[in-house]
Amino acid sequence: MFFDYANVFVFALGGAVLVFGGMWLGSLIRPKREGEAGLEPYECGEKPIGSAWFRFDIRYYTVALVYLLFAVEIAFLFPWARVLKEALADDAIGGLALVEGVVFILVLAVGLAYVWRKGDLDWVRGISHTPDDPEEG
Amino acid sequence: MELGAYLAVSAVLFVLGMAMAAARRSLIYVLMGLELILNAANINLVAFARFKPEIGLDGQIGAIFVIILAAAEAAIGLAIVLNVYSRFGTIRPDDIDELRQ
Amino acid sequence: MSRTDLTALSPLLVVALAAVAVLLLISVRRNHRATATLTLAGLVLGLVSISWAATVTPHQVAPLLIADGYALFYSALVLAAAVVVCLLSFDYLEQRGEQREEFYVLLLLATLGGLVLVGASHFVTLFLGLEILSVAIYVMVAYARSSPLAAETGIKYLVLAGASSAFLVFGMALVYAQTGTLEFRPLVAQLSAIEGSGLALPGMALMLVGVGFKLAVVPFHMWTPEVYQGAPAPVTAFVATVSKGAMFALLLRFFAALGPGEARPLLVVLGLVAMASILAGNLLALLEQNIKRLLAFSSIAHLGYVLVAFLASSAFGDEAVTFYLVAYFVSTLAAFGVVTVLSDNEREAERIEDYRGLFWRRPLLATLMTGALLSLAGIPLTTGFVGKFAVVAAGVEASLWLPVSVLALGSAIGLYYYLRLVVVMLSSLDAGAATESAADSGRTPADPGQTPAWPRAARVGGGAALALGLLALLLLGLGLYPGPLMDVIESSVSPLR
Repeated sequence: MFFDYANVFVFALGGAVLVFGGMWLGSLIRPKREGEAGLEPYECGEKPIGSAWFRFDIRYYTVALVYLLFAVEIAFLFPWARVLKEALADDAIGGLALVEGVVFILVLAVGLAYVWRKGDLDWVRGISHTPDDPEEG
Repeated sequence: MELGAYLAVSAVLFVLGMAMAAARRSLIYVLMGLELILNAANINLVAFARFKPEIGLDGQIGAIFVIILAAAEAAIGLAIVLNVYSRFGTIRPDDIDELRQ
Repeated sequence: MSRTDLTALSPLLVVALAAVAVLLLISVRRNHRATATLTLAGLVLGLVSISWAATVTPHQVAPLLIADGYALFYSALVLAAAVVVCLLSFDYLEQRGEQREEFYVLLLLATLGGLVLVGASHFVTLFLGLEILSVAIYVMVAYARSSPLAAETGIKYLVLAGASSAFLVFGMALVYAQTGTLEFRPLVAQLSAIEGSGLALPGMALMLVGVGFKLAVVPFHMWTPEVYQGAPAPVTAFVATVSKGAMFALLLRFFAALGPGEARPLLVVLGLVAMASILAGNLLALLEQNIKRLLAFSSIAHLGYVLVAFLASSAFGDEAVTFYLVAYFVSTLAAFGVVTVLSDNEREAERIEDYRGLFWRRPLLATLMTGALLSLAGIPLTTGFVGKFAVVAAGVEASLWLPVSVLALGSAIGLYYYLRLVVVMLSSLDAGAATESAADSGRTPADPGQTPAWPRAARVGGGAALALGLLALLLLGLGLYPGPLMDVIESSVSPLR
């Protein structure tokens, strides 16, 4: 009975070793620069000054939206992956299960190609991509 | 845990979502309120599918669809809110009124 | 998924493939004409593939979609309307300097949503279709980014449509709790089996909120005038027809499966909704000076008329609903088609004053507009008359005396504002210009005998001309010879009951 908990204990111990051991190893290798930008919560991008209610760079927004959509679409792949093996073994469905999954991913890839081609993934953009001033219209 | 507990959480979320959408403080709040309602429905769907095993997985699969469509709706919604902001300089629903009447 | 499944779904697959292909084309090379052509080809191919799908009907695909004669008939209707909107959009977008190509992806996706909706036999596909349709329409409504109203219209539509679909999903979850299934037929069987409705009735009521919003019936109609006014004219045509028609097709399928005992409390509510829509729509349209808003109010009333035939819940009622929807599609598309081709890149031809003396300037367009308005009013010789006749007959057959008399009253009121518009188009250019355009601060009074500055005499492009010609033919043709269409409808609604 108690022996069963040994699994849990070993698992927790292993986890702790991995985490703290990694941190310790890292502290041996990495340069130590205290009081510098390296201590800031975000090491790159926005400076964490003032309240959190400031305006983020608008370029985050397209990338974030694209990321959001692709991340969520992937949710469809979990149930698919779960039953894929059984479906492939099934005579009635067979390879079609794989084809359907691939088609799904290809459709997503077309979306990605479109976003890429449109230049929405570029951090530094050409003038032509600046959104029109709404007041002009 | 009882099914009732899930239903209670879901009902609370639904009411909170409605209140947020109806309060019209900011368009972002309205969108968040709508998301809450959808998630309340999701909790219901998943809970029923879990507690009535005889009825199969319909509810859980349905919940996945709801999550994905909610994300699509949120993405489009935020894009339009951004357009609204660049035009009106505000996202308070009450201030956005150029259409006649 | 067997070969038969794929055949049965071919219209859906073709349109979905077309959407992906158009997106790919845009990423490779931006060309408005090529994009529009590919879109049109996809939609026409979708229409053609319906005859292919018809070889395997009725066929149930998984529990999710059904391809029976009814679904295919409405698929054809949705696709045909999308073809018309596509043709109208080309010239409309050609005038405007914004990114045009993405519009066609959205149009294809919205059409796909409509197709899913008319074939749905499961709550998940219902919601999926509804959302594909709605999300694409959100963007289409806000598409004209240079227009001052675009963002505002878009967000208003989005918030209300989002709320309604959230209600719909929550209602679905409650119905699911009670019945333990999301599939229409077992669900309906469960509903009649259980004693006392429990959560199912509030669930259904919440779902009706979502459906009522899509159909824009009282009391969920408030968005209609604003969205109709603020959206680009071809999009308005799409929202007015496909979005409502597909939803109605679904409603009819669901209620036809529902036994009379379960449907009764909901039908009572829908009866009130129908009468309120007819009265409110027609009365609000009376004072309207903006033609897009006027058509919005009239569409509220028209959905009320369709609901009267729906209330009959008989096979004949189903036929009447379907015929009326076809007539409504044709007339509405024709009316908005004329608005579309008269609009220029400065603004839309939406003021009634813009139509003064149209007969003397653009006789063909004015004649078509008159035809569309007379059809909406239900004047004999037009398809609208046959539709209204069928609706009234279905109502009388089911002894729905109160709704039918409200319908008659509403039509009488409707006659007034439709004919007022016809009179404006017939009146000579100078008549009334002094009095009415003085009040219209946006325009200087037109000098007698001179062509007014607006709308400018733009040439109607080939695509739009084709679409309008087709609509004119249908408007008169279905009014004079409704028989063949009636036969098709009769056989296509037969699987319902």
